Amino acid sequence: MILSRMSKPKSALSRFADLRRSRRSGSGNLIAGLLAVVSLAAIVHILVVLTIPQNATHSAYSNAARFGPDRAFNLLPDVVPGAEPLPGLDPAMKHALCRYQLDDGPVLFTASIPVPFWSMGLFNTRGDTIYSLNNRTAGSETLSMLVLTTEQLSILRENPPENLDELIVIETEDTEGFALLRAYVPHPSEAKLVGKALQAASCGALG
Amino acid sequence: MTAPLKQFGEADWYETDLPPILRPQRPRPLRALAILALVLFSGSLIGISSAYFIIERERPLMAVRIGPWETYPYAGTAEADPYSVAIYTRGAKIPLASGEGVELIARTDSGGDTLQPMCRYRIHGQTPTARLWTLTATNGSGRLVETLPGRSNLTSRQLLRNPDGSFEIVASTTPQPGNWLPLAEDPFTTHGLRFNLRLYDAPVSTGSAMKGVTMPAIDRIDCL
Repeated sequence: MILSRMSKPKSALSRFADLRRSRRSGSGNLIAGLLAVVSLAAIVHILVVLTIPQNATHSAYSNAARFGPDRAFNLLPDVVPGAEPLPGLDPAMKHALCRYQLDDGPVLFTASIPVPFWSMGLFNTRGDTIYSLNNRTAGSETLSMLVLTTEQLSILRENPPENLDELIVIETEDTEGFALLRAYVPHPSEAKLVGKALQAASCGALG
Repeated sequence: MTAPLKQFGEADWYETDLPPILRPQRPRPLRALAILALVLFSGSLIGISSAYFIIERERPLMAVRIGPWETYPYAGTAEADPYSVAIYTRGAKIPLASGEGVELIARTDSGGDTLQPMCRYRIHGQTPTARLWTLTATNGSGRLVETLPGRSNLTSRQLLRNPDGSFEIVASTTPQPGNWLPLAEDPFTTHGLRFNLRLYDAPVSTGSAMKGVTMPAIDRIDCL
């Protein structure tokens, strides 16, 4: 009798402990759920950021096809409000763009632009810079640059063209890419002249 | 006498001595499914929207800050971080390559306040050495806007300078004496303002050299 009476308060205590334990496991469930949400969100975030470059349908390389045929410098329309040919271009400049595929052979760039400043950048399909130069670093008034793959260079070395030492030779692993030529227009009256010089720039086969 | 058996025996599984995780629970499939769906939904939603906001902000990581000006020396190179790569490929942006020049962007004035198209700003001081530089006013996402004279830029060759080589430019919607950088004709329908300073053929093209150069300050004069 005494023993059974003494066991009663003990069971109330254990019931209280049970209640506390169940409450703790409830908040534990909540923390586990939040952790699951946060880790899932982190994984999704990283996946989205990493897959954007592969899924971007309007990359600079694909947009470049709008301006004309490949392997030729195409003059871009003037950079004016509401009709910018490509985002982030300088309105003080005139631009020409040439898209190339090295599978069709090495590409020779030549240009002679009578302006105080011009520059050219070579970019791959991801939009990364392969090479860039301006009219001071080009070393001469005219640009002559040859872009080719390693195999094409070794073939070319066996039978080098006469002016190979005058060319800037760029060896690249990116077989597809584009070149953007920027020329500063010092005054609007010279815009036509600069445009003509840009159109006369060549982006084509060697020799 | 058989204490362990009594504690974890099959006969008393409903006893509370078992740790909660071992205690059998009545299966609640609908509730479990709802929780799983909620976790999947909110996780993907937070993941996608956070990625979207960071990419839409169009501010690559690893920026070099000089006063209000920011530049991203790694954007458009193979060393770019995944966010910059995503921002540049998604926006089809062609970066200014390091051999061409360097582009600096200001979204705030020197006091740290966001630039507003309805305000007048005084841009004064000196730029790092460059053969040519251009200063262009665009909207918050870098697009050109219509202005009164039709241009929205100034170049270093057209600039009026003080005898010491420093300059003062006033950016405003309405014409200003001296160096005037026209802002949006219709400032109240324009979203945001950004100044883009492009230094062509500048020795500071490499990111490490950008530290410690003098850049022009941007002060707000007044607002409409």
